[in-house]
Amino acid sequence: MTNVLQVLVLGLLLGGVYALMASGLTLMFGVMRVVNLAHAAFTILAAYIAFYAFTLFQVDPVVSILITMPIMFVVGMVVYIALFPRIENSPKYVEMTVLATFALALIVEGTLTYFFTGIFRSTRPDYATDSFFWGDLFVPKGQLWALAVSLVLLLALWAFLKFTKFGNAVRATMQNRTAAEIVGVNVRQVSTVSFGVGMALAGASGSLLSYLFPFFPARHWQWVAILLSLIVLGGLGSLKGAFIGAMALAVASAFVTDRFGPTWSPVTFYLALFIVLLVRPQGLFGKVVRI
Amino acid sequence: MSALLELRDVRAGYGKGPDILQQVDLTIEEGRSACIIGPNGAGKSTLLKVVAGILSPRAGEILFRGEPVAGKRPDQLLRRGISYVPQERSVFPTMTVRENLNMGAYSLSDKSVVAERLERVLDMFPVLAERRNQLAGTLSGGEQQMLTLGRALMVKPALLMVDEPSLGLAPQVADLIFETLQHLDGSETTVLLVEQNAHRGLEAVQWGIVLDLGTKRFEGPANSILDDPRIRELYLGTRVGSAPEVAE
Repeated sequence: MTNVLQVLVLGLLLGGVYALMASGLTLMFGVMRVVNLAHAAFTILAAYIAFYAFTLFQVDPVVSILITMPIMFVVGMVVYIALFPRIENSPKYVEMTVLATFALALIVEGTLTYFFTGIFRSTRPDYATDSFFWGDLFVPKGQLWALAVSLVLLLALWAFLKFTKFGNAVRATMQNRTAAEIVGVNVRQVSTVSFGVGMALAGASGSLLSYLFPFFPARHWQWVAILLSLIVLGGLGSLKGAFIGAMALAVASAFVTDRFGPTWSPVTFYLALFIVLLVRPQGLFGKVVRI
Repeated sequence: MSALLELRDVRAGYGKGPDILQQVDLTIEEGRSACIIGPNGAGKSTLLKVVAGILSPRAGEILFRGEPVAGKRPDQLLRRGISYVPQERSVFPTMTVRENLNMGAYSLSDKSVVAERLERVLDMFPVLAERRNQLAGTLSGGEQQMLTLGRALMVKPALLMVDEPSLGLAPQVADLIFETLQHLDGSETTVLLVEQNAHRGLEAVQWGIVLDLGTKRFEGPANSILDDPRIRELYLGTRVGSAPEVAE
């Protein structure tokens, strides 16, 4: 019994970071119908920023979210303005976003490899390898920190969307783009800022990732596959769904790791993706959309 | 009476498709509510979309209170006083009724004004007042239509354009919507209605406009259109019922 509880705790601890990455991705899809395949690549970019901030200036990776978030926010807005308005009236818009962001992922990966090589990196703050026992439960400190930071950021995102005027405009655009236009929302502006916010979340994820998992530029392919399965499970464009999907699959993969070994952990996500697409293609909280 | 909205030689269409509107000339006088009637595919919905800024005109001029507004964004037009209720249901489904109405006032910044408008709209639609904390997606079709109308009224628009409000609604519910539109007569809001059910639409307004094949065929006082034998034969004789207009 203790073992089950232990595995559950380890799964939930990791779920926070998954949720953080997935929420940025699902926000982008919800507001702009952009399937951002470059999300994980930008997360890795942020991880490199955190890595160099740590190795060169001894900036703690958790503190480095204060650097990565603003940088990625700006990068996100620039990327959005440069790429998407010119294709937004295309009847094949969603397909084009997939291709455009795929290309973007390759460019980011290639650039990172050119400058930083393909060597595994990871930041090593003290708490990354530290842990304590809470009763009988083994709790790794670094993952606890990551969960706490993720939850704070997700709570801030929720409050922003729920209680600010601009946040309401973002939600309105996610729910009905034309209606949002009709009530006077400048959807171009909302899209640009939302893309920036989504990327800022990728930035924060990168900071946390930098000490949780060793990374190198091409690592993002594994992450983007996981992220897509998380948001497909939750329902594309649903923030609540992204959170619950992330937590559920993080726990599931922890159990798979415990039972069958870490090699099988990624299978959890692909299997979940298959099952969801077969049984409930709109996901847990998604609505049926025709594209 | 002064012209609120003028269209001069307006042409418009979707994508690379043909012109749906072909040289439309039209004037809506301030304070004289009007209804556009015409068969399926005449371009009625397209006309409203062009004026609302959802669709850019390919040619021609649109003047609102004498100022050119063709090609402006919907949010810019709204700030000038043009409000639009589209044909398809357009509530924000996972926001409450109150949040939906407040979104209608998105372009206003004075919170006390917003609160006052909210009270006014809730007075107009008691059903919405009852359900103010309910999610809009859980409302019936008629209630959603009222919510969309109420949301459009939050800005006290100078021009309120309503596209096929009775579409797919039970007759009693449609009656209520038309009554509300009629009540707006004499207020600061001028109504421009598009309605498939021509009798019903014309009864609710003062001025009638017949649109066919993308141009204006006829216009005149609403009751004279209802009585005109030619128009009766061409456009009112066969009731097309509630078949939805072809629109993208």
